[in-house]
Amino acid sequence: MTRLVRAEFYKLRTIWSTWVILVITMIATGGLGVVIGFAPHRRAVEEALFPARGTPAWFDDVFSVMGLATVLSLVLGIIMVTGEYRHKTITPTLLAEPRRGHTVAAKLVAAVGGGGVVAVAAGAMALALGFGLLAGGFGTSGIMLTEYRHVFPGILAASVLYAVYGIGLGAMLKNQIVALVVGLGFEVIVTPIFVGALPSVGRYFPSQAATALEQVAAAARSRGGAVFGGNLSHLLTWWEGALMLVVYGVVLAVAGSFTTLRSDVT
Amino acid sequence: MVTGFLGPNGAGKTTTLRMLLGLVTPTSGSTLVNGVPYRSLPDPTRTVGAVLEASGFHPARTARNHLRSIAIASGIELSRADAVLDLVGLGPDANRKVGGFSLGMRQRLELARAMLGDPKVLVLDEPANGLDPQGIAWIRGFLRWFASSGNVVIVSSHLLAEAAQTVDDVIILANGRLVSHGPLQQLLRGATNTVRVRTPDATRLVQLLAESKEEVGRTRLEGQDTVVVEGTTPQVLGPIMASNAIIVYEMTSSGESLEQLFFQMTEGSQLGGGPIAQPWAPPVPAPGGSQ
Repeated sequence: MTRLVRAEFYKLRTIWSTWVILVITMIATGGLGVVIGFAPHRRAVEEALFPARGTPAWFDDVFSVMGLATVLSLVLGIIMVTGEYRHKTITPTLLAEPRRGHTVAAKLVAAVGGGGVVAVAAGAMALALGFGLLAGGFGTSGIMLTEYRHVFPGILAASVLYAVYGIGLGAMLKNQIVALVVGLGFEVIVTPIFVGALPSVGRYFPSQAATALEQVAAAARSRGGAVFGGNLSHLLTWWEGALMLVVYGVVLAVAGSFTTLRSDVT
Repeated sequence: MVTGFLGPNGAGKTTTLRMLLGLVTPTSGSTLVNGVPYRSLPDPTRTVGAVLEASGFHPARTARNHLRSIAIASGIELSRADAVLDLVGLGPDANRKVGGFSLGMRQRLELARAMLGDPKVLVLDEPANGLDPQGIAWIRGFLRWFASSGNVVIVSSHLLAEAAQTVDDVIILANGRLVSHGPLQQLLRGATNTVRVRTPDATRLVQLLAESKEEVGRTRLEGQDTVVVEGTTPQVLGPIMASNAIIVYEMTSSGESLEQLFFQMTEGSQLGGGPIAQPWAPPVPAPGGSQ
């Protein structure tokens, strides 16, 4: 199993998609962090909604852009499985390890590392941004680092689990375009509809589970709904969110191993 | 030992080989390598090397990295990647992205991957497909070299004449069924010789042959005065005709080509059911002409 996981990491390292995902993660984190921190508020009512610059809540909002890492981890996880079918490298992969369950298991383990690396890329960028904000005269290093330490662990955990979820989606759907459309479509179309209309159901969806997980710090400090992202009262607790994401990833991956991935490779 | 796995397109060669390699699950029956299913081999890449279609590469990955990723998964030392690239003559292209490789280079890269584990058995699915004559000659030479050291090769092809230059044994498949198998030499001996006789006594000759104790194959009348006898030689027919005072205007003997034999064995097996040995003919214009 160790060698299969090492092979998965090697494969990730030697395709450009991985590096593109990391670069996008960093650019998006830095760019959006600045936008969220300094978006002009036209009306007084808006001004009241947003925390004052340099405050803990403001740093929370800025650092919340690291949450982008989850979606990019999802893409990474999906590509790890569907890329093999797209480029037909699944044939040499299965010739080297004909037990398909082993191959999927190795991908799940490698995805943990992959999602972690994406989160670290976002985290590094956010930290750099944090120091930049300090240099610009916003807040103190004490406030900045405290907020960073509160937000980053949740993002890291959510990214790792999102990459695992991506493996599950890929294993289930096999086709790269379909898996990406379903995965991202669920994020940006289906989930908001349910969250708006049926939050009691919507809170079990992946992105809501991830948000719950990311709020671990905020919740611990009883600041729940006060952070950027509006009303979060419908969310699960952080460990329920984590559990949901594990279930999504593992259940889909196991189901995929027994259905889609079992099919003939021609 | 080289075994040719032959059959027309759609006969089931690729499917059979992929079943052997655990990529396709048979609806019934089993495929074994050294007595066990491929999936149960303790070290599949060191046991069987497989060359399937010349795809299965990430276009942006270099040849060396492609091989290394497989080597890591198989527990093979990384240095083998360069060794097999040299073996197939791709050493200078090790750092090039596979996306820029020609078909011949991809085919050789596939072969290099198959050789990573230094297996004793090579399975190749139509390795000559799409290659230029030099490429085909190169593959043929490689397979001979590999087999000469006591290794086993199974190579599929839809071209019997092409395969005949390399193989010792043949397995012929048509429509998913085994048609014939055995040493190539034996198959060639079974290739029928056909004799055509032009004689004014055609009808009588056909009748005589039907009654004759001599073993002759199918006999048929062609036109008014020609008898075509399969599975015989002039040495057999000559005495029969002489002793029955049959006048002979012309007698020709022709050995059946390997291809004809192949067509015969696999006749009617083409997908779609059309006759297989028909050469292409231009479409007949509809009566009344075009408008």
